[in-house]
Amino acid sequence: MSTTLHWITLAAYLLGSLISLGFLVRQRQGLYRMGLALLWIGFGLHTLALAAAWVEGGVLPATSLRQSLDVFSWALMGAVLVVNLRLEVKILGALAGPICVLLLLAASVLPVVPSVKTAAFKSAWIIVHVISIMAGYGLLALTCLGGVLYLTQDKALRAKTMGPVFRRLPSLGRLDSLNQASLLAGFLLMTIGLISGAVYAQMALGSYWRWDPKEVWALITWLLYAAMLHTRLVQGWRGRRGAWFSVAAFAVLVITFLGAGLLMPGYHSFSSLTGLGGPRP
Amino acid sequence: MKLQLIGLSHKTAPLEVRECLAPPPESVPGELHRITALPGVREAVMVSTCNRVEVLAATEDNAGEAELTGWLCSGRGQAPELIAEHLYRYQGADAVRHLFRVASSLDSMVVGEPQILGQIKDAYRTATDAGTTRTVLNRLLHKTFQVAKRVRSETNIGGAAVSISFAAVELAKKIFDSLEGLSALVVGAGEMAELAVEHLMAQGVSKVQVANRTLERAVDLARGWGGHAISLDELGAVLGEVDIVIASTGSPSAMITAKMAKAAVKARRGRPLFFIDIAVPRDVESAVGELDGCYLYDIDDLTSVVEANRAGRAVEAGQAERIVAEEVVKFMSWLAGLDAVPTISALAAKAEEIRTAELARTLRDLSELSPDQAAALDRLTQALVKKLVHDPIMFIKGASHNKSPDTLRQQLALVRRIFNLEENGGE
Repeated sequence: MSTTLHWITLAAYLLGSLISLGFLVRQRQGLYRMGLALLWIGFGLHTLALAAAWVEGGVLPATSLRQSLDVFSWALMGAVLVVNLRLEVKILGALAGPICVLLLLAASVLPVVPSVKTAAFKSAWIIVHVISIMAGYGLLALTCLGGVLYLTQDKALRAKTMGPVFRRLPSLGRLDSLNQASLLAGFLLMTIGLISGAVYAQMALGSYWRWDPKEVWALITWLLYAAMLHTRLVQGWRGRRGAWFSVAAFAVLVITFLGAGLLMPGYHSFSSLTGLGGPRP
Repeated sequence: MKLQLIGLSHKTAPLEVRECLAPPPESVPGELHRITALPGVREAVMVSTCNRVEVLAATEDNAGEAELTGWLCSGRGQAPELIAEHLYRYQGADAVRHLFRVASSLDSMVVGEPQILGQIKDAYRTATDAGTTRTVLNRLLHKTFQVAKRVRSETNIGGAAVSISFAAVELAKKIFDSLEGLSALVVGAGEMAELAVEHLMAQGVSKVQVANRTLERAVDLARGWGGHAISLDELGAVLGEVDIVIASTGSPSAMITAKMAKAAVKARRGRPLFFIDIAVPRDVESAVGELDGCYLYDIDDLTSVVEANRAGRAVEAGQAERIVAEEVVKFMSWLAGLDAVPTISALAAKAEEIRTAELARTLRDLSELSPDQAAALDRLTQALVKKLVHDPIMFIKGASHNKSPDTLRQQLALVRRIFNLEENGGE
């Protein structure tokens, strides 16, 4: 069931992305609406696919790299679609759509690892931990995208040609609002994720903090985003500096997400998740 | 008499070159006197806007061209040969056509923009005040105003009213998204700046402040927009409070420095600041455009928007060009007629001179004539002379309307020789 839904989702995302790219080139409003509708349908199917995988596997489907990429692409698409409801940034579909397609494709080719069915993954704390961290990642990825768009539009404005890029990209003001909104929400969710993780670690492993590589990187990432929020709100680092910051911070986030999960040994790494015990009685 | 036009515009010269040629308004009369003092130059008008600097001169035949170029290029703070390579020179009908096209806004950066006619009117007024226009340029400039009016009323060239202000609004929208509730600062007063402000206000800009060299004018303008006036000394402080700055002063040096802009951005906590500099020479240091959070567009940068609009106006422009061509022919024939005037008046004067001399002699000999008879004799001689010179005069007039300038010159010379008229006899 979940596999079928996975492929239908991929098809909807692919079609939605292609139509959004068509909108990017031709600038027809009809294409924009059609692309957006398809991405929404894809997102609905994606949600269903993940729910089905959860039911089938019995645990939260985020125990392998394959599943994590799947959830990450869901989070990114969700962030884009929800933020787009308030701040219409029409170009995002053409940008985030293909990224989600690639993430899903990557997830599809990765080996299937049997779900870890330990009691740990059934705890409410860890469900909150994983979901809020992943949603936070999605939003912060959007901040990074917004930053890239900001830098591109800034450059287009300074080139003074009023060319195709200038016309297609949204205004700096709107991109700045996008960055601020996604940064605030992403940071909030990441904070909730870290706290719930720590609480769970206390319950399951007996200590809030164990200097696991992923924990350390997550802390670094969190501090970076905290600094970014501070400089933006207090010192007025909007503009180019803020945009560069969001790109750099996201690079660190990727290290935390993939690097610490794959390359560094620790109980957060995907290979050792099986060894994780349930909460102590 | 010959017409010469020499100058440069946004089409031939970059802003840097135009900047150093544009004279401050108060020095224009002096420049005009200097031009008319050049050998061979009789009349002159100087048009100087932010997009062009042009000198129109009526000169004696084949005189003045080198002198005019020399005058325009030297002592401008740039190498004369550098300026010379950006110049265009028109003579005779080409000069008239160019002037008509400029005044009709066919040569403008924004084709159809209405300000150029007013600027040429100002230039003409300055020249008449300085006393550097006479028969030819008076007639030409009045004709120019008529042509511009005709183009405006008979074509739809000014219809779309796209201009600098349109570009400014587009740009502002790409920076601020919505202009609702933003505030603008106008530095220096000018027609173009006023237009830009009105466009911005129509898009939602709600607060306007005006800074001007003369506070009176600033207060006047500010009242019209429901804003308030500030003095130029307050510029630095006010920059931190506004979102859009429109600069258009006639100041020879930059009013807004990079240092001021940097402080303003800091005060604004990173909210961007948009500078529209429509002054020539520029009012905002170009380094401002590189600062984080500052976007600077000068008059040349605004051209790009205009390009997109050009296509739709091609048809209207074609119609306008026809009107211009028609009017050029009319004016040139008048000008050619002007060349014949001295010959005609010399011929008439000579005939009258002979008549009065001969009549006086005859009356002396015939002393017994009654006053009535003397009057009849006077009438007789007048009629004789009039009928005799009528055909030659008609011949000259016909030639002046229908023949090329060279043929006309030859025929005038022939008439002068036949009737033994002195060279340069009267004007």
